[in-house]
Amino acid sequence: MSIYFELFVNFGIPLLVLMVAYFVGNAIEKKHFREIRAREEKVHGFPVISFATLPPDWRVGSAELVTGSVVVSLDYFKRIIAGLRGLIGGRVKTYEPLLDRARREAVLRMTEDAKARGYDAVINVRLETSRLANARKDGRGTAGVEMLAFGTAITLT
Amino acid sequence: MKFIARKPREGINVSDVHPLTEAGTLVFGLSVIFAAIVLVLVFFVDLVLTFVSSETEVRIFSTWIPDDLISTEADDVRESETRALVERLARHWPDSPYKFRLEVSASETPNAMALPGGLIIVTTALLDRVGTENELAFVLGHEFGHFRNRDHIRQLGRGVALGILFAALRFSKGGGSFGIGIADLTMRGFSRKQESDADSFGLEIVYAEYGHVDESWRFFDRMIRDDYGNSDLVTYFSTHPSGGDRIENLKFHARQHGWPLTGPTTPLTW
Repeated sequence: MSIYFELFVNFGIPLLVLMVAYFVGNAIEKKHFREIRAREEKVHGFPVISFATLPPDWRVGSAELVTGSVVVSLDYFKRIIAGLRGLIGGRVKTYEPLLDRARREAVLRMTEDAKARGYDAVINVRLETSRLANARKDGRGTAGVEMLAFGTAITLT
Repeated sequence: MKFIARKPREGINVSDVHPLTEAGTLVFGLSVIFAAIVLVLVFFVDLVLTFVSSETEVRIFSTWIPDDLISTEADDVRESETRALVERLARHWPDSPYKFRLEVSASETPNAMALPGGLIIVTTALLDRVGTENELAFVLGHEFGHFRNRDHIRQLGRGVALGILFAALRFSKGGGSFGIGIADLTMRGFSRKQESDADSFGLEIVYAEYGHVDESWRFFDRMIRDDYGNSDLVTYFSTHPSGGDRIENLKFHARQHGWPLTGPTTPLTW
């Protein structure tokens, strides 16, 4: 029995974890994208722009800093595939949807907040990321990344 | 200024590749790359070793004994008897460049090894497990086979080359262990071929000594019964061919040469 047990521990368990991570991660991602699209639909038409200066015909009534922030982490499947990709280089395709979700979610949170507070637009929108922590003691691996969207919410008179 | 609201466009920042396609491409592609690296390494090691003659090897390693060898007591009858058997068997390979040395290692794993300079190491567990002299003779003959094919020195060269590759992979992020696994599996294919070749020579030695090949595969029988694994999966992941296949191959080999499969066996003195 021992050799089968060894095989199971060495190959079976990592494979099982990988499969679970893939299916769970994929389901969560799909659900999140559906949610993002629905929410984007709701705030559609609300101006969120990156101008630092106002167009001359805009008259601002009040202004306030608004932020939207989200912290994302990788699932095991994405991490492993990205690790393989790291051996030869190239586009880390498994990370792309993850960061796309993070960007859109951060902007959405900021926009929804601005809209809820009665503002008419958000200008000078900026995006920033920061690495939160290392996943491992040796300083390698990323536990999570914060995606921060911020801008100036204004009311127009 | 007029503000025109547009919906965000999809697919700008996300590649249109299914994650499983990406995974499959990477796994397959990298497997091919690492297998190729190992093949090239093996080729070069073998090439270099053609420049190292057996005589040079014997000169360098004539008194060498591994540091981690746990010797048994000096008056161990198993050791002296096995030494005598090695000498007797060596007579059937008269043009051998080696003067064989035998050491017994105290270990609980039944095993035998061929090491540079004609050194054969057998473990106490193996000596306790074998039932007849014929059975032990085949194990020793198998090790002779490794010497004849120069597997022992090749193994050493490959070990060094792979060691460097593995060290480099460990420094690389993430996929390092995947590369190590693939390289290791590729290497095992070579090992299995070596074992089969050594088996054939071992059988030849046994036939030359006893006039039949009875009891030669008894040791594999025992290994199977002790559950050292015999499934296809285990075979694939192991360096040695599985016991059952080996026995079949040995029987086939013996029949081909017309060597009797049965005959009187010699008991052990211990």
